[in-house]
Parts: sequence; structure tokens; C-alpha cells
Amino acid sequence: MTKRICSTTINGQEREFAIEPFHSLLYVLRNEIGLTGTKKGCDVGDCGACTVIMNGKPVNSCLVLGVEGNGAEIVTIEGLANRTEHDISLHPLQENFLKYGAAQCGFCTPGMIMSAMALLDETSEPSDAEIRFAIAGNICRCTGFTKIIEAIKKTDVSDGKHKCQSDHPAFNPES
Amino acid sequence: MQTDFAVIGASTVKVDGIEKVTGAAMYAADVMLPGMLYGKIKRSPHPHAKIVSINAGRALALPGVETVLTPDNVPRVKHKGSPAPRGGGLVADQYIFADKARFVGDGLAAVAALSEEIAEEALALIDIEYELLEAVFDIEEAMRTDAPKIHDTEMNLVGPPFMLQRGDVDQGFAEADFLFEHTYSTGRPSPCYMEPNACVCTFENSGKLTIWSSTQSAFMVRGILSEVLDIPLHKIRVIVEHMGGGFGAKQDLYQHEFVCALLAAKSGRPVKMEYTRKEAFMGGRSRHPVTVNLKQGVRQDGTLTARQVLHTSNTGAYASHGLGITAVGCLDIASLYRCEEHQRIEGRAVYTNNPIAGAFRGFGAVQAFFALDSQMDEIAHALNIDPVELRLKNAAGDGDRSPSGHPILGNGLAACLVRGEKEMNWIEERKKTAAQADSRIRRGWGVGTEMHSSGAYPDIKEVSNAILNMNEDGTVKLFTGVADLGTGSLTVMAQIAAEELGIPFKDIQIVYGDTDAVPFDLGAYASRTTYVGGGAVKKAATNLKSQLLALASGKMEVAVEDLEIRDGIISVKGVPSSRVSVKELIQGEGSVPAHTLIGQATHHSKVAYSFAAHFAEVEVDIETGQIQVKQVVAVHEVGQAVNPIGVEGQIEGGIQQGIGHSLTEDYVIDKQTGQSLNASFVDYKMPLAMDMPKIKSIILEEVPHPTAPFGAKGVGEDPIIAIGPAIANAVFDAIGIRFRELPITPEKVLQALKEKQVNVSS
Repeated sequence: MTKRICSTTINGQEREFAIEPFHSLLYVLRNEIGLTGTKKGCDVGDCGACTVIMNGKPVNSCLVLGVEGNGAEIVTIEGLANRTEHDISLHPLQENFLKYGAAQCGFCTPGMIMSAMALLDETSEPSDAEIRFAIAGNICRCTGFTKIIEAIKKTDVSDGKHKCQSDHPAFNPES
Repeated sequence: MQTDFAVIGASTVKVDGIEKVTGAAMYAADVMLPGMLYGKIKRSPHPHAKIVSINAGRALALPGVETVLTPDNVPRVKHKGSPAPRGGGLVADQYIFADKARFVGDGLAAVAALSEEIAEEALALIDIEYELLEAVFDIEEAMRTDAPKIHDTEMNLVGPPFMLQRGDVDQGFAEADFLFEHTYSTGRPSPCYMEPNACVCTFENSGKLTIWSSTQSAFMVRGILSEVLDIPLHKIRVIVEHMGGGFGAKQDLYQHEFVCALLAAKSGRPVKMEYTRKEAFMGGRSRHPVTVNLKQGVRQDGTLTARQVLHTSNTGAYASHGLGITAVGCLDIASLYRCEEHQRIEGRAVYTNNPIAGAFRGFGAVQAFFALDSQMDEIAHALNIDPVELRLKNAAGDGDRSPSGHPILGNGLAACLVRGEKEMNWIEERKKTAAQADSRIRRGWGVGTEMHSSGAYPDIKEVSNAILNMNEDGTVKLFTGVADLGTGSLTVMAQIAAEELGIPFKDIQIVYGDTDAVPFDLGAYASRTTYVGGGAVKKAATNLKSQLLALASGKMEVAVEDLEIRDGIISVKGVPSSRVSVKELIQGEGSVPAHTLIGQATHHSKVAYSFAAHFAEVEVDIETGQIQVKQVVAVHEVGQAVNPIGVEGQIEGGIQQGIGHSLTEDYVIDKQTGQSLNASFVDYKMPLAMDMPKIKSIILEEVPHPTAPFGAKGVGEDPIIAIGPAIANAVFDAIGIRFRELPITPEKVLQALKEKQVNVSS
């Protein structure tokens, strides 16, 4: 099959790459771009470990074709913290995952944080039930979810400064 | 026992936390090397079949295929698969590729190709001719005298039965007022670690192999690969930077670890192998389905007079930990509730044509205590004794014989029961459930208990090592071989080092996960890491501290005994003004490092026991059969919590997995074809965010153990064990039906309700 040229904005940077049309966005992120923070737990959309935010919505990147990312804006776990030359400033959600012990083995953590991020982008003070629903598709096998829910609940994003994306361009497959 | 700690006992952010929340943490499958190939395993579609011939010609001819492995071109060395080198009741019954398939999923050949897609395609081109053999799946079937032999053993038994005989059970039963005899059985839960098994192998021109693998026991991987592949031990380097859970199963060497190394050797290129989720079920390790026939004699006052047990575990196609979990289950059942005089306990592990059962958190104890604690509840109800009171009456305590044969220290189990009973207001809450209206939703409370050793002594001669090397600025490099499956053990090691040395936690730099850099360790299993690994770290820190104090003593002209170190400052006891910082001391004159101080220790531990009591509230919907766990009060006696937030995390996660194996989780194998029926996360149901109840974790530090670092015992296995009987007993409290088989699915509930003819009326 012929590779297709795609142009995708990943973590705020526009990237252009040639990909096999049958490869998933997960494969492209990990194997073509080297963003291995996004994890492959099942590759069939059951576990949520590969969750990224695509045009403002959380998606299982294993269920999205890489070519569908053409023209899209994607945020992965690597795009949340602010990095300067010598320092890293974590997103409040990441801070709270640390503080409340919400990451054990850490394999579900990137996807879990991205699902929570998508929730907090829409609802700055979610209820317990909203949190549980937002991460219902993210399997964690270590924590029993208690500390994950606590970490999300105590994340204060009410000042609006910590949105993952301020503007979500509509997805246009033709662009 | 020390109580004024600077570092221990304070909830501490994990040393590797920042890597995990930013996506920077490297797991085995994240390793990408130039020129890397992808390996795949060809698996048997038949549960029991002789391999007549394998022809790889068509696969080799496929463009992009670099190497094919078949039984003809791999070493034929029998190995144990489960690498506990000094015990553990292991049996050598595996080859890299066997000459017959023993379960659906048994790996028979492998390929390495330029891409995963080509490798998949090539698997289909490997032609295998099979001679089908009769397959057996149940223990009863497998033990028939005319059953097909899976390995060459009588009745398909893995080894000689485990036997424990004390006194005369017949006499004990004669002395009883009542006899209770029932059979209890458990399902086949899968550990379902989130990171599917993965490894990357590459050879240097010197012949040195480097393998990144998702394993709990890097040194065991090194040892077994060396033995089976005939590579000198020092020419193998195993790296485990981070791993995405293991829960016991990743103690074993899986087929891909051998295969990946051979593919890399033969192709001369790096090779990566990743299991699919289905392979992680099929080619992984489940818990053992176990049947326990339990008979106990009881006096009117609730005293146990005799106990007789027949424990049979279904180990699947290869032994793995079959004998180990059987022995542990038998010894556990003998010990949790006192019945000193008369016991007869027999345990068998049986081969069947199912996928391999292996080590899984709660190793044998989950099944054994489900049986024992269910029957204790049955006895309490029959004798009209409060279930907590009956347990307190019989709870093993100070001086009683533990499963390892050593006397128990303290009364941890009773302490857990008493605290939990008070915390959840047992008497009053149970009155409420007893008086509930005849509604569709029935509530109930139940209690479950357990004990677990820290480490596997004396079956395994436990040992850990640690090296502490002081940097020129007074900070410390801690070299440890312990594995961190996500449990936070590296953080605990750093806390122990900082506490013992008297320097700030942030000054400990931890070096781990590389067999070329860190000292030998047996790996993570049996809740051993804090107790055994932490013991080694503490000893090494004591060693380094004495060197520091000797140095300070010379410089300050004060006797060593009169000096202390706190927060990185060495001072004369009672004279805080007479002081020197560790940094100043180690720097020497003119900022030129004057000393290299290295503390090291080898630690052989004994054994200590942790205890727990779980109180669970359930709601049973008698129209749908659905059981919901509403809340759990979990009381754990751990001696000393090193990192309390980490202990809570273990408890909450263990309860999640325990609710799973009690209500929904069962990896089902078709009894005609041997095929997996639910090897995916859609069909295999685990409790998730929407299902998890409120959990109140209570950590007791009643009995700090003198053989443990700062008194700290293990906690990893404990929380998955007590929750099962707590739920089953709560279901009985709710609807008056005793379930002696896990998981308690809605189908079973509805069936039982129908048999009992409970009406949903009004």
C-alpha cells in the first residue's frame, strides 16, 4: 500500500509524516513520532490506556486510523506539562495524581489523565458520578480507583488557565 | 521498638511518580532500536495434540521474514519456567517449544519479520501437522485412571500429594458436638495486568545479550536464560525500567522471553515481542481453580475439635506454581483458626489441558481462606453465635503455630476483627439488615479474614542485597535489586535508607532495574519486598552510617556512641551546637572528595505475618441476581506502615481484584474444544470506576515485627484475600443463601433464589 502524507498538530506543534493507511493513530504516535507515553493495553478499544484528546474529545487512539488525524489537533500525555530548558511544571491534574497516589504501575495513567483532562475541560467541578462516568472506559488494575477519583476531584481548574486546548477546530477530513 | 521517625510513616510521593504522570516512564515495549524486527509466536489451536511435523518453508519465503524458529532449531533444555531457584516446589516440565501441544495457546514456533503485520502473516504460513489427542479439563476427569497423560505422571498429578497430619482426626470428630462438611470451589481469574507481556532483545558483537522485559524477577530471567540458552550469566543484562503490573504472574518466564533472545541471536538484529491482550490471557498465568473439601468438628461453645481437608488445584498444562500454591493453601487453612490437636490435610495439584495457572496475588491463600472463612460463617449461623465472636474465639494469636511452623507474634487477627467490628458498628448494622423489609433489594454484611507471610521462608531461603554509595556532596546512591511492579517499593527502599542514615529523603538517589548495575535479588513475590528487600537496605544503611560516624568521631574527637545523625547533620547527643554536616564531612578538605564510603549488606530474612479483617456490605437485587458491593471496611495489621498512602493503595487495589474474583471474573475455557471463551476486556468483566464501592482502609500498627525493618511487614497479598469470604458471607446475610463457589454470578444467584423460591412479592 502507498503511504499517505498527513499533517497533524500534536501537542501544539504541526507535524507532517508519511504513514501506512492501515496504521492506527496509536501506532503512529508511538512508532512514527516516538511519543511512547500513550500506551497499548489491548489495541481493540477495550482498556483506554491509549486515550488521547483529538479535536477536544477523548478518543481511543487504537480505534482511530492515523490518516484520520490529518488536519486534526491532538494532545497526548506529553503535551500537558510545561517544559522550560531546566524545569518542568506539571499540570495540576498531574500534580494531584502524584500527591494522592493515583498512579501505581503507571501504565493506565496517561490514558486516565487524558480522559480526566477532557472532563475537566468541560466541567471544572465535576461530581463523583461525573468523574466515574468520564473514566468508565479506562481500566486500572492497581488502584481500586479511589485515589484516582480523589485526585481528579481535588484538581482545581476553575481559573480556566489549565485547559488542554482553548479552541477546538472542527475536524475536516478533506483538509 | 522505635516510634519517632523522620521519614518512615509519612505518606510520600513515589520516587518514579513524575515519570509516570508525564508519560516519560519507559516500559519494555517503549524501547525502539534501529533495525529492530518484530517477533510473533505460532500457537496451538488444539488443547492436546502431538506435533507430527512442522514445515516453515512457506513462511521463510515470505518477503520481510528474517527468521523462523521451530522445535528443530531451538535448544531442547527442560526448565521450570517459574524461576524460584531455591525452593518453591517447582517442577521442570517445560521446553522452549514442546513436542506436543498441551493447551490451546501452547507456543510451537515463532517468526521475526520487518513488521508486525508481516510476522502475523508468516505465522499462518507455518504448516503444522497434528495428531489429535484426547483432552481433559476438569480435575476429576484428569485424575481418572484411564485419562490421557498430559505429562508422564500417575493420575496427572504434578507431584506427590502434600500431607499434613496432626493427632487423630477421627478422635477429634468423635469429640465434637457438630460436624460441618462442605465443598468449596473457586474460578479462574486472570491477573489482567495492564501492560501486556513484552520484551526487546539485542546482542552486542561480543555475544552479550541485553533484554528489556516486563518481569517481576530480573535476576531469575537472567539465570534461567543463561541455563536454557547456554549463555554465560555475566553476558546477559536484564533491564526493567518500569513495569505495568504483574500481580505474581510475571514471576514466571514466558515463552517469548526465550524466543525473543533466540530470534535476535539468529537474525543478528534487535527483536521486539509484544503479547496481544488475548495472548496475555491465553499464554499468561491465571489463578488456580481450586476445590476444597473441608470437614470440621465443633463443640457447642464454638471450639474446633478437628479439621480434615482435601485440597485439589487445577494447574493447567504445566506445573508452574501448582505445588507451591497447594502447599500454601493447605498450611494456611491449618493455621488461621486454632485447631491444634487433630488435623489431616491433603493437597493435590493436577495437570489439565487448560492454559497455565501460576502465581497470582494471594498465592493459594485466596482459595483456602474462601473455604475456611465461609465455613466459619456457616458454623456461627448454625450454632447461633455471632460470626465475629466465633472468629475471635478461634483466631490464631500470640504463640500459635503459623503456616511456616514459626510461632505467631502478637494478636493481629483479633485486633483487626475488634477494630473493624467497632468501626462499622457490626451489631447495630446487622440488626438493620436482619429487619429489612421484603423488598427487591436485600442488604447484608459479612466478614472475612486472612493472614499472610512476608516472604516465602522457609520454602524459599529468602535473601536480598543492597549497596549504598555516598556521593561527594553527602547524597546517597542506593543500589537495590528489588522490583517495583507499581507497588511503590522503590520509594519504600529510599525511605528506609533515609530514615536509618538520618539524611533527608530527597538526598537518596535510587539505582534499580538493571542486573548489570544492582546487586542480586530474588524479585517481587510473597509480599517480601518491604520485609526482605527493606531489611537489606536498612542493614546496608547501618553499615554506611557506622563508617560516617567513625569518620566524624575522628574529626570531632568525640566517641562514636555519643554522636547522632538527624536531617543530614551529625551532632553530639545533647549538644546540638557541636556539629558537622554529612556534606562537610564527606567533602574533606578544600572541597576535594576525600572519602568513598560504601555500605553494603546481604540480608537473609525469616518470616513475619500480617493480618486483615474485611467487613463488606452488599446489596442483592433478587429480580436480576445482581450483587453490588456498597462499602468495605478493611482493617490491616502491618506492623509499621512505611508509606501509608502506598499501603492504602495496596488495600484499595486488592479489594478491587477481590471483588472481581468474587462476583464476575472467571476466565472460561470451553470444555469441548479448549478454546478461550472470554479472553478480552469486553468479555472478561473486572470492577471498574463505575463499580467500585466506598472503601475505608484502617492501618493497624499493633505488632511491629522485631525481624522487620522498623517493624514493617508486607501488605501486597493481604487485601485480595479477605474480601472474597466477606462478600460471600454478606450475600448469605442478605438472602440466606450460601454460595460455596466463586464467582457468585447473577445466574447462580437467580438459580439459587428459584430453588429457594423466594418471592419478590410486595
